[in-house]
Amino acid sequence: MAAATSRYVELAKQLHPRLQRFFAKYPPTQILPKTTAENTIKDGATANPFLPHKHPVTGRWQDPEFSLRRQAELVKLARSAGVEELMPFTHKGTEERIRKRVEEGLQVKGTGVGQKVKGHLHERMLATKMEKRRTAMLGMPRLVREWRKTGTRGWKKFPR
Amino acid sequence: MAKKPKARMINVRLLSMAMTGFFYSFTRPRVARPMSMLKYDPIVRKKVLFLEQKRKGK
Repeated sequence: MAAATSRYVELAKQLHPRLQRFFAKYPPTQILPKTTAENTIKDGATANPFLPHKHPVTGRWQDPEFSLRRQAELVKLARSAGVEELMPFTHKGTEERIRKRVEEGLQVKGTGVGQKVKGHLHERMLATKMEKRRTAMLGMPRLVREWRKTGTRGWKKFPR
Repeated sequence: MAKKPKARMINVRLLSMAMTGFFYSFTRPRVARPMSMLKYDPIVRKKVLFLEQKRKGK
């Protein structure tokens, strides 16, 4: 047991100093993973430093401990060290980002799951236009034959 | 004031029957029959029938 603990300590010492400081201040076990959902601290629990929370006494909203930029930096460091699951919930986390990407797609409207890009009118009508052209070309030999038979003098069917 | 007489020659538009919207413009006497001819349509890259479009404002 002690050996395992000391090995973990050794491993922790190899982390980036910023991560070391972060984990020293916010040990993973002490942060309630979903304090965050209610955003109110109860019974002296440590608030998620990555999310805003309501002060239990004043009821005022407190800003997160870390700005979104610093959250992203920490997440990147943690990911490269392979300890991202020890971080508290953050909107900059990989899972959250993937989830959002699946939900919303790219920033371009319509690229998410089950969505369609609207496109310009000419793009939406492209299939119809090509189909019309195709049927016209299929009927062309017959039309030309008819036209040859009637001749230009007797021809009555002119397009609008 | 007397009304302006109609022009003897008119400009007509021959529309591709391949439904590409491609057309040729010609000038013909007003009294002649409507035009129709086989001509090249560069959009479908073939010779297709071109027919005169009905004139507007009549």
